[in-house]
Amino acid sequence: MAKELLKGNAAAGEAAVRAGADFFAGYPITPSTEILEYLSSRMGELGRTFIQAESEIAAVNMVLGASAAGARCITASSGTGISLKMEGYSYAESMKLPFVVVNVQRHGVGLGGLDSGQSDYFRETKGGGQGDYRRVVYAPSSIQEQVDMIYKSFDVAEKYRIGVTIFSEAVLGQMMEAVDMPPFKKREGELDWGIDGTGKKGIRNNKWTIFERVEMYHEIEEQYQEWENINVEDAEYVFVAAGLPARVCIDTVKKLREKGEKVGLIRLKTLWPYPVKAFKELGPNLKGLISVETNVQGQMVEDVALTCRKFKINAPIYCYAYGPGVPMVKEIVAKYEEVKSGKCEERF
Amino acid sequence: MAAIKTLPTGANKHTFCPGCGHGIVNRLIRECIEELGYQDNYCFALAVGCSCNLHSQKGDFFQAAHGRAGAAATGIKRTRPDMLVIAYQGDGDAGVIGLAETLNAAYRNENLSVIIINNTNFGMTGGQMSWTTMPGEVTTTSTAGRNCDYNGYPQHLPEMIANSFSHIAYSARGSVADVKHIMETKKMIKKALQNQIDKAGYSIVEVLSPCPTNWHLDPLKSCDRIENELYPEYPLGEFKTREDK
Amino acid sequence: MKEIVFAGFGGQGVLTGGLILAYMAAQKDLNATWVPSYGAEMRGGAAKCVVKFGESKDEMIGSPSMEEADIIFLMNKPSMTYLKDCKPNATVFVNSHAIEDTSAIPSTMKVIKINCVEKAMEVKNPKGANLIMCAAAIKECKLFDLDYAMDTMCKFFEDKGKGKFNEANRRAFQAGYDAV
Repeated sequence: MAKELLKGNAAAGEAAVRAGADFFAGYPITPSTEILEYLSSRMGELGRTFIQAESEIAAVNMVLGASAAGARCITASSGTGISLKMEGYSYAESMKLPFVVVNVQRHGVGLGGLDSGQSDYFRETKGGGQGDYRRVVYAPSSIQEQVDMIYKSFDVAEKYRIGVTIFSEAVLGQMMEAVDMPPFKKREGELDWGIDGTGKKGIRNNKWTIFERVEMYHEIEEQYQEWENINVEDAEYVFVAAGLPARVCIDTVKKLREKGEKVGLIRLKTLWPYPVKAFKELGPNLKGLISVETNVQGQMVEDVALTCRKFKINAPIYCYAYGPGVPMVKEIVAKYEEVKSGKCEERF
Repeated sequence: MAAIKTLPTGANKHTFCPGCGHGIVNRLIRECIEELGYQDNYCFALAVGCSCNLHSQKGDFFQAAHGRAGAAATGIKRTRPDMLVIAYQGDGDAGVIGLAETLNAAYRNENLSVIIINNTNFGMTGGQMSWTTMPGEVTTTSTAGRNCDYNGYPQHLPEMIANSFSHIAYSARGSVADVKHIMETKKMIKKALQNQIDKAGYSIVEVLSPCPTNWHLDPLKSCDRIENELYPEYPLGEFKTREDK
Repeated sequence: MKEIVFAGFGGQGVLTGGLILAYMAAQKDLNATWVPSYGAEMRGGAAKCVVKFGESKDEMIGSPSMEEADIIFLMNKPSMTYLKDCKPNATVFVNSHAIEDTSAIPSTMKVIKINCVEKAMEVKNPKGANLIMCAAAIKECKLFDLDYAMDTMCKFFEDKGKGKFNEANRRAFQAGYDAV
């Protein structure tokens, strides 16, 4: 069967449906609205639940209620909409309720703009809501990868009763790409918790104390790191990137290699757990790491630095904080030339 | 008729202050659940505030964030449409921080039973002014007495919902200040639950309830206050029934 | 890999024109991307899309954005700004109804002028200017063969519930194909 040409947001909705999502509640906001629009009709067709909520806060709380009652839940939003959902992120962790959020990021603070970007890195990977907790964060570089990540995200969410964030970007949501859709599936087995009206299982008796929960986070950190390393073994300079910038870096590495430059790429597919293991494969010729991200101050570069400290990698760390949008290959090449010629200031 | 001597299913020792009305309402709800045969098929969506002390009881609970019980109960009910879902909230939770969620659940005519305890203050945090606080009433945030020109006038949630959303099933206000009113309130709660069972739509019952601790009155005087001061502001009765539809 | 940019005003069928080309590639099981202009880029009614597709099934697409276009469609004058991000030997399809002076186009590029607006009127499909341009590029740059392209275009519109325009669209497509 030929690949289907699908918009990123519609593909996200369909992937959730294929993964067995029973429940969606959301609120319109650019650039994630198409997920809401797509599911408004699709969930009904399949006899599943779709609610256009009165607010982002109500939407996430509806999702928590449904999750507690045993539904596979997903919601989506952008920018300030995700800020409003922070209450739900934190409450979800307090009750150990699994649910998936697609954050189709728009760049900027406050109202921000409609441009694409990765300005929510800190919020999505370090918390955002009150308390200390973690969510698994997948960062797709293509629509196919986003589909595959959403498809498995519900299983991960339910296994650990943890929230999962899909770290999408405006352009990824708005662009179209040829994709293969996975088959329909359902949750395997029954949940051993949840509200069913009998009061016998419920959600009150959490399996974990907060300290046991931390041990579980460590287990996820150990087992769920995902990344792709390209040409890192002999590389002198290695780009570190996720999402769309990482995809542009694939072309950048190809182009620079053709010119004889020894460059490589660590393409991060999970942002929490941060794929520290990827850095173990860095070779002895390493002269610098360049974090490429579409925000203005450089956020992910801090995790690059912390990882280097962990493995005692002493190469200087640079950051290409591109700002809103998606960088072009020639722009990343120019930054590389700047780094190589010593004209770029080290970040760490 | 013999009085019920045993505790209804799920009822347990409660942790409310002496003289508080929550314990009575909790018992009324549980008696109704049992009488309707739903003791193995119900769930409370709890608010933040004194109402979350219902945690000491048995059965299924969902502890919603402050004000969000209307939204959370919606998610639960849509997922398990045959389960009895009761949003149990205080006036501050349902009518102040959660006004949007409460009104929007009514707007959608969600098939829910919403029970709201009105004790004219934010009880759990130590007696601050709520939108239901009486004109001139002293609270920790209206120390000179509530100035309604500055803070707004008392909120009448059941009337607001009955007047705004003509398609809902039921809206009423009861009281637990004396036995007669307790028995009337029980009938209201039972109607609210029966409506949900019959899939008739949204039902809301506000219950005027004493708060001796924050009113700085003994339990009996608290009940007198309800009768003398609150009834004129908050009239009891049914504002909307299924028959009006 | 082919990189194609379709640029003009909203309403000229720019986004749909690019989408049809991406669809033709996807239907052949090739990797394909379509990125519309987005956010600030759209101010003032400008419309642009970037289409990329592999030339074999295993060819992946890295950057989906405009980098070095092989083919560009210029439907209005402001679009000429995108020429700076085209390959030196790019093929430029110019809507000569909107752009008379093409002297600003680098001489290394191949320029093909088509009055697609007039042609669309001639074949009684006034909204078919974009299809005329697509068909011209398909022939000139040997992207797909005519029968496949024509049938796939019709399927594209059928999927959108617009199959009733197939005959008019075929006329426009043929006119574009014959224009080069």
